[in-house]
Amino acid sequence: MASLDTAASPRNANSLLRYLPNVRRAAGLVLLGILAFAFIVPILWMTVMSFQAGEKMFQLRTEWIPTVWHLENYPNALSRAAFVQYFVNSGIVSLIVMIGNVVFCTLAGYGLAKFHFRGSGLVLLLILSTLMLPLEVTLVPTFLVIHKFEWMNTYQGLVAPLLIDAFGVFLMRQSIMSIPSDYIEAARIDGAGELRILLQIIVPQCLPALSVLAIFSFRDSWDQFLWPLTVVSIDKLRTYPLGLVQFGEDYGNPPTEQMVIAVLATLPVFLLFAILQRSVNRGFGLSGLK
Amino acid sequence: MADLTSINPYASGNLSGPPPAVSRFWQMHHRQRIRLWGIAFVLPTLLFFAVFKYGPMMWAIELSFNSYDMVSAPRFIGLDNYRELAADPIFRETLLNTFVYIAGSTILTTIVGLSLALAINTGIPGARYCMTAMFLTNLMPIIAVCLVWRFLLHPYGLVNQILQPLGVGRIDWLTNSWTALPAIIMVTVWRFAPYFMVVFLAALLALPEDYYEAAELDGAGAFRRFIHITLPLLMPTIFFVVVVSALLCARIFLMPYLITGGGPGNATRVLSMLIYETGFSYLKMGQAAAISVVLFAIMLVFTAFQIRLFARSEQVYM
Repeated sequence: MASLDTAASPRNANSLLRYLPNVRRAAGLVLLGILAFAFIVPILWMTVMSFQAGEKMFQLRTEWIPTVWHLENYPNALSRAAFVQYFVNSGIVSLIVMIGNVVFCTLAGYGLAKFHFRGSGLVLLLILSTLMLPLEVTLVPTFLVIHKFEWMNTYQGLVAPLLIDAFGVFLMRQSIMSIPSDYIEAARIDGAGELRILLQIIVPQCLPALSVLAIFSFRDSWDQFLWPLTVVSIDKLRTYPLGLVQFGEDYGNPPTEQMVIAVLATLPVFLLFAILQRSVNRGFGLSGLK
Repeated sequence: MADLTSINPYASGNLSGPPPAVSRFWQMHHRQRIRLWGIAFVLPTLLFFAVFKYGPMMWAIELSFNSYDMVSAPRFIGLDNYRELAADPIFRETLLNTFVYIAGSTILTTIVGLSLALAINTGIPGARYCMTAMFLTNLMPIIAVCLVWRFLLHPYGLVNQILQPLGVGRIDWLTNSWTALPAIIMVTVWRFAPYFMVVFLAALLALPEDYYEAAELDGAGAFRRFIHITLPLLMPTIFFVVVVSALLCARIFLMPYLITGGGPGNATRVLSMLIYETGFSYLKMGQAAAISVVLFAIMLVFTAFQIRLFARSEQVYM
């Protein structure tokens, strides 16, 4: 059809114009590529610097390809402070928070999406209204609550206030609402128990939303700085952000080794994203994207 | 499950004819039991929020009328904490910074996010890979973001290197009180815009295509199609992004804390930093609680908008 159009068009004489759509597409791709590149430059810079010699970081012209690759930055950085321990701590906390969110947000989301008990509208409002109470707002009293529980300097203390997030509940509710109720009714008539319905009918159908929830709850607790700063005062329980800030403040630690820790901290999140990416894209409603 | 068949007559397969009266009793009972399951599913979350959200917030409101240093018992002082705050020039500057930061970041994040989404949505092959690359900025640990940008915004950093050929002199981004807050806003946009790009993109993909076909037949150009079709249809999403972005920015802590430490002077100090410092550096828990109540009031306004949106929304947003 395209050839018919061009054959009939007087513009056919100009062969350059015939390729105009392709030229425009190529130009668009180049522009978009430059834009995307501009966004990831800081990530590339961080990675390159983690392999550089210390004095290269503040040169007038950034050396993008190291003349000498200082691979020893990695073991050096890890041995200067208890970073292995810090990463393990962060990993434990983030995994528990992620699992807590996945489990409780799915339960609550299911309860709000498919069960009509008295006051369920009010419950939804109560849950959503906690969005205005992030940890930054309730920092002082949450600290006092944990203090009362005697959970200072414990894993419970680190994990507890992050365990459920209202965004997750809402996300799961929206996702589960799109599952036809007939499936659930049919399963009930077949005699399936409520927990079995949840695990075998609901969960498999909302895996995209669960992936989105998993990656964001992992990232949020992996990123968490203010709360560990408030609740942890012993070195053994420090998470890597606390260790990294301390490392930067201690005199004489080369900034390139800070970049090493930053790179190592970035890897788990990117890895989780790589594993879940297809599902996350569907969870965002991007499956139509070419 | 076999044990349920004895309770639920519908499960036994004898569904011929109208259900006998006995079964109606069982059915009611059954419905009630299902309802209880629903409550049981929601209950853990509600209890959790009672202990870690509503409880602490009420405690914060109560504390804000007290003087408390964690050593001696709280002492009721009425509105003194609030009076002190109102008279405190640092608090006023912090409050103003917070508003400027929220407004600047939200407006720019929304514009950049929408522009990126429109660029991705042009159907250029390979656009999705660009999208994934940009989205990585949203996944990078925030602490890495802060450290990297602190170096990039250094007088000899990459930002100045790039600006130099454009004839811009060397700028001390983080130590100049005019550029420090804009610099942090820029980092915020870099961090959040790709996330809202994804939200916008999902909305763009869901737009009905026949409007565009009709407009194209009528000879409307790309710009007019955007103004008269895309923009009005996107209004709910834009509103959503503005509200969520404002909520995210209102609670910002780590960026100013790590990149500038609130300086120079108090030029980048925001409310969440002031809460932490007042409470845990100066141990004025009552005063910190009063600042929390102020921040809470700001969040309340945005959340009220957000809940109204959520109540109407059909699309799944995060």
